[in-house]
Amino acid sequence: MKHVLLAVFFLLPALAGATSLRIGSKQFTESVVLGELARREALQAGVTVEHKRELGGTAILWSALQHGDIDAYPEYTGTLTQELLKGIDPQADIATLRLRLAPMGIGITDSLGFDDNYAIGMRAQRAGELGIRRISDLSAHPQLRLGFSNEFMDRGDGWPGLRQRYGLAALQPRGLDHTLSYRALASGAVDAIDLYSTDAEIAYYHLSVLEDDRRYFPRYQAVFLYRLALERDAPGFVGALKQLAGRIDEPAMRRMNAEAKLEGQRESDIAARFLGLSPESHDDGFWTRLWHRTREHVGLAAASLALAVLVAVPLGIVAARWRRLGQLVVGLTGVLQTVPSLAMFVFMIPLFGIGAWPALAALFLYSLLPIVRNTHAGLLGIPLEWRESAAALGLPWLTRLRWIELPLATRSILAGIKTASVINVGTATLAALIGAGGYGQPILTGIRLNDIGLILEGAVPAALLAIMVQLLFEGIERWLTPRGLRIVARE
Amino acid sequence: MSFLASRNPSQDAGAHAADFALKGVTRRYGTVTALDDVSLSFAAGSTTALIGGSGAGKSTVLRLLLGLDWPDQGEVRAWGQPLQRQHVLSLRQRVGYVIQEGGLFPHLTVLGNLALQPRYLRWNAQRIGERARELAELTRLPADTLQRYPLELSGGQRQRVALMRGLMLDPDALLLDEPLGALDPIVRHELQDELKQLFAQLRKTVIVVTHDLAEAVWFAERLVLMRDGRVVQQGSYDDLRHRPVDGFVETFVRSQRRLPDDGA
Repeated sequence: MKHVLLAVFFLLPALAGATSLRIGSKQFTESVVLGELARREALQAGVTVEHKRELGGTAILWSALQHGDIDAYPEYTGTLTQELLKGIDPQADIATLRLRLAPMGIGITDSLGFDDNYAIGMRAQRAGELGIRRISDLSAHPQLRLGFSNEFMDRGDGWPGLRQRYGLAALQPRGLDHTLSYRALASGAVDAIDLYSTDAEIAYYHLSVLEDDRRYFPRYQAVFLYRLALERDAPGFVGALKQLAGRIDEPAMRRMNAEAKLEGQRESDIAARFLGLSPESHDDGFWTRLWHRTREHVGLAAASLALAVLVAVPLGIVAARWRRLGQLVVGLTGVLQTVPSLAMFVFMIPLFGIGAWPALAALFLYSLLPIVRNTHAGLLGIPLEWRESAAALGLPWLTRLRWIELPLATRSILAGIKTASVINVGTATLAALIGAGGYGQPILTGIRLNDIGLILEGAVPAALLAIMVQLLFEGIERWLTPRGLRIVARE
Repeated sequence: MSFLASRNPSQDAGAHAADFALKGVTRRYGTVTALDDVSLSFAAGSTTALIGGSGAGKSTVLRLLLGLDWPDQGEVRAWGQPLQRQHVLSLRQRVGYVIQEGGLFPHLTVLGNLALQPRYLRWNAQRIGERARELAELTRLPADTLQRYPLELSGGQRQRVALMRGLMLDPDALLLDEPLGALDPIVRHELQDELKQLFAQLRKTVIVVTHDLAEAVWFAERLVLMRDGRVVQQGSYDDLRHRPVDGFVETFVRSQRRLPDDGA
């Protein structure tokens, strides 16, 4: 009976999704600002659009657009030619791209008015000391420490091609998160990083941008990609996106980036000012935000854990009864655990889209191992003397399981659930990368804007939640452990 | 006997003391032969003691009779029928099984342990309580211990509860595997007396495994001496003492120094 109550308790939230239009943005400030510009422009045209901000990298947004989980997002032509489309001229113009994208059901606006090219930057002082002005100068300094964003390291138009074009094989770059690379450069931890030509930090950190003297980097004109079906279903929205084309020049974009990143202004306010509109009121104070994120975070962690308990305990039971199958089950759940969490979230997008569902699925898969393994170990750990006594009473397997074996394994099973729940609360912070919200949202924004206060706004509640979960489970353990197992043997 | 009055009427029709038999039974665990071509029979209503050193195969005989284990060769019979896997649960409900340390489940109270089989057979709480108090009286267990947990009991009390659990359904046979092995000598002596009385009173088929010859002689007319998975000799204590079949029997009997000369 207690077990049933427990299961019901965990099956709290019904995670409903809205069906309005959605615009996505990548996990960097310019993309978020462009997303806000599109949202406000659409609102101006009478179309309400939801902005799913900071959805992670290109792969996530491209996949989400193709699956219709988002309706539009800001992209760059260079990314399309180099990364997303196969077998296309790297210098293809927008008209060519439009023809190429149409059969895929994807539309593309004209250039928004600026290019955001990849570039290599160094501190001006250091570059001056070494006499480096052009990328080709780098080959004479193999001792330089390069810190490149993980995306730049991997993509075809990034480091691999650059190394080849300039003969830089002697240099060994390290992978960095792009949002951290400026600080790494400023602190002298690395000598050169990849950056974007509209980055606000170039002036702030006194950086010099190395000349691309062999014309390696393709043009990255900013555009919006959208689902072609919207031209019929939501012409107002597509019209609004097209309205933005040609209106944002490079200085304007760099200024807006600086306002967001360096002055800490809200992207929605920046977008409104650019469009000459009045800023929206922000009635959600700290506590409202906290409450909102807590609901999202607890909802994710609790729902995924509840599902995992319902699946993993029976799996553990099956694994304990049929040994051969058991090894397979425990092995498979172990393999799931080795998938890096970010990769797991990305794998879930084609199956579940973006938002709460893929996050739920990923957290569910992560919760399986501790629970399956502890259920399995708890049942097999029951001394033979008790298992045989139970069998000798002539009770069938299910009855023995319910009355004798599961109660004896209670502690072990609960310990597994406790482990899973604490891991879940932690991992759920990454769910913000795929639009599931939660405490990860302010952490992501905080890292992007280099705002410690925002990071703490997510990190502190997440830590407190983990502690509370721990305490909660200790209470549940005391409540569920049969009294006879708690008393110490009399000698 | 008062407890006989509460016997389950539906059981009554087929209820008679059991007879068991092993015919040419061999059981191996890997390279170890636990039983080697053993043939034994246990008459209905008889009391038999299986004796021998550890690893002689005594416990394996009991486990085969309950279907907790199955022979590699040979046949096990109960009530004149070969043991079949699909009937093994109902067989176990007609046989009480008591092991060393009792095998009581620590998460259940004494009453909870006693109630396992009856609850499965859908006895109501009142009937279970009555039967438990009846058996408490029979085994001289203080009635207030029914609500305690096994770990709150003394070793002797635990053993009494294990016996009660074996008797809850008033089974036709009682198999005891070193039932008193874990007890201190005084409690053990006291329980030996009580068990002997009980066996006489209940008239069930009783098979008791022990490594202690004195205890075996005290409980049973018929002794079966085993060694390395084989039956060495069976018969009365006098048979073993005066007509040993080989040197091992002689040594085994002689090694039990505490036994008084005039025997049972």
